[in-house]
Amino acid sequence: MLSVVYMFLITLFFASLVSSVKLLNDQKIERNQTIKLQKIILKVLQIPVQGQMTGEELARIYTDRVEEIDVNGRTLFIGYAEDGQTILGYAMPVGGPGFWGPIRGMVGVSPDATKVLGLAFIKHSETPGLGGRITEPWFTGQFKDLPLHPIKGDQNIFYLKPEGTAQAANDLDTITGATNTSSAVETFLNQELDHFLKKLWGSIEETK
Amino acid sequence: MQPKKQIFLTGLWKDNPVLRQILGICSTLAVTNLMINTLVMDAGLIFTVCMSSLTVSLLRNVTPVRIRMMVQTLIIASYVIIVDIMIKAYLPDISEALGPYVALIITNCIIMGRCEAFARHNPPLSSFFDGLGMSLGYSLVLIAIAFVREPLGFGTLLGFRVLPEGFVHWTVMIMAPGAFFTLGIMVWILEHFRLQSGEEKG
Repeated sequence: MLSVVYMFLITLFFASLVSSVKLLNDQKIERNQTIKLQKIILKVLQIPVQGQMTGEELARIYTDRVEEIDVNGRTLFIGYAEDGQTILGYAMPVGGPGFWGPIRGMVGVSPDATKVLGLAFIKHSETPGLGGRITEPWFTGQFKDLPLHPIKGDQNIFYLKPEGTAQAANDLDTITGATNTSSAVETFLNQELDHFLKKLWGSIEETK
Repeated sequence: MQPKKQIFLTGLWKDNPVLRQILGICSTLAVTNLMINTLVMDAGLIFTVCMSSLTVSLLRNVTPVRIRMMVQTLIIASYVIIVDIMIKAYLPDISEALGPYVALIITNCIIMGRCEAFARHNPPLSSFFDGLGMSLGYSLVLIAIAFVREPLGFGTLLGFRVLPEGFVHWTVMIMAPGAFFTLGIMVWILEHFRLQSGEEKG
């Protein structure tokens, strides 16, 4: 009986301790995540951001230039030019299974949805230095200006090929030594881009 | 009662948790491919081991023996969650890189090992120094392994390039087996000298 009371009291004490630390830092953690997401959205929409910008400055640019709308349960981010009128592009979260765990990212496309503006990965659990290289600029940078079209038959939007063997404009370099991560990215990103295009074209039609 | 300096040095070197007790191997393999991850892991572990040992020792006379392991797990888990929250709040980039490993400090055998083997029978200050010695001993070994793995695997150290551009990266050093080889060779060399110096005779 004494053990039960003792365990109860000590659990109460440590649970309160952990909860208060969590409560004290919750806002800060949430803010870090928001800043990170906003930075990525601005990046894939090709809205320039200075590296040494504080959270407030970033948030101000974000609220001025980006509008969030809901399209069939997914958030679509609309990027505006400095005048606040001209649409620069659309961004949407993408995701799928990687080799070790889920990969989440953000992709931006041009206003007429014919090419990719930018791609960034937000979260992944691939091996650092191998599959983890999907976040490196040389890899994500390849997707800039990638021509887009909905998938017809077995024609994918893009292919990942070993370095130096690319022939067409939609042949991009794969990551050497990370075959499984590369093919996982190729599979889910093609599907997601196709999905994105169909949704986006649907919503562009609606607004017209 | 051993003097605190002795307790500290035992953990740091003579009974080094990784090299001599072969404990904490999981995290040793997981985080040592980048020096920065290693340093954050070390800091987290030092805090957790010292605080857990101290707390377990403070409660050693009132904790019923039958439920002591539950209590120890609770104490360790609480400190680890606090470390995790702190890293998320103040070092968001490193939190990304370490992923689930911070939370996995809970399962590091060194912490519970020290609580059970030492803190449970010894006064708080001695327990604290025991934890400090053991966790610093762990940290030293991890840093040494990262010092081999990061340059060979990435050509960098703490993100700065230390080997020439043309250097062919050793992929195996990035993967967990690289740490097995490095650690194995380290244990081999150190044991060789230990035996030669006659420290283990008798």
